[in-house]
Amino acid sequence: MSNRRSRQTSNASRISDDQMIDLVSKLRQFLPEIHERRRSDKVSASKVLQETCNYIRKLHREVDNLSDRLSQLLDSVDEDSPEAAVIRSLLM
Amino acid sequence: MASADKLINTDVPEKDVFAFHFLQSLSNLRKQNPFDTPDQKNYRVRKIKKAAYVSMARAAGGSSRLWSRALLRRADKDDNKIVRFSRRKWKISSKRRRSNQRAPVVEEAAERLRNLVPGGGGMETSKLMEETAHYIKCLSMQVKVMQCLVDGLSPK
Repeated sequence: MSNRRSRQTSNASRISDDQMIDLVSKLRQFLPEIHERRRSDKVSASKVLQETCNYIRKLHREVDNLSDRLSQLLDSVDEDSPEAAVIRSLLM
Repeated sequence: MASADKLINTDVPEKDVFAFHFLQSLSNLRKQNPFDTPDQKNYRVRKIKKAAYVSMARAAGGSSRLWSRALLRRADKDDNKIVRFSRRKWKISSKRRRSNQRAPVVEEAAERLRNLVPGGGGMETSKLMEETAHYIKCLSMQVKVMQCLVDGLSPK
């Protein structure tokens, strides 16, 4: 792992601003959720990366919250309830 | 860079594939640990959360992606203990790099992204962008699946 990290560090330092901007624009093409920005390319690349990070964090929080709610809901499900039927129908 | 010219493939499976894997995980979880012990609430939440991430990685194709491979490897390592998927664990040293080729603000944002994407610490930067795009699509799909399940189970 440390070898890979050190290699990555060495490799990352070779990436120019233009290449990073190009990569970030590719990322933006596939992620409509990340808003467009009209600024210099460098600032735009930084903003896209920051918004991407914020979006991932938001999704992580949603998984946390939904896991909590599912735990509560499954707690109250008994075998003969309509909710159990929902689960069974989804599993079939 | 050669890889920068390759078409980035971020196709992900349909929602029902994610639903299948997650419900299967929940079903197995229920068999192992009946949900009838209120004092184990936190334990159960963590189990469900882990099931969500592991089933998402499997739905995405298991070891076909660096991020999904990293998640499954992490889950295997954690099999005997339930831990939060701490994102600090893979933090790269904060020592400033000597290179001035990139603006610090862009570099810092890329580093934060590396910490958030499973396995990101070991990725070359162009691969990081590709894996990030794929990871976000799968994570969004997983959230939708879980939301549908919560809605379906909630009392009307």
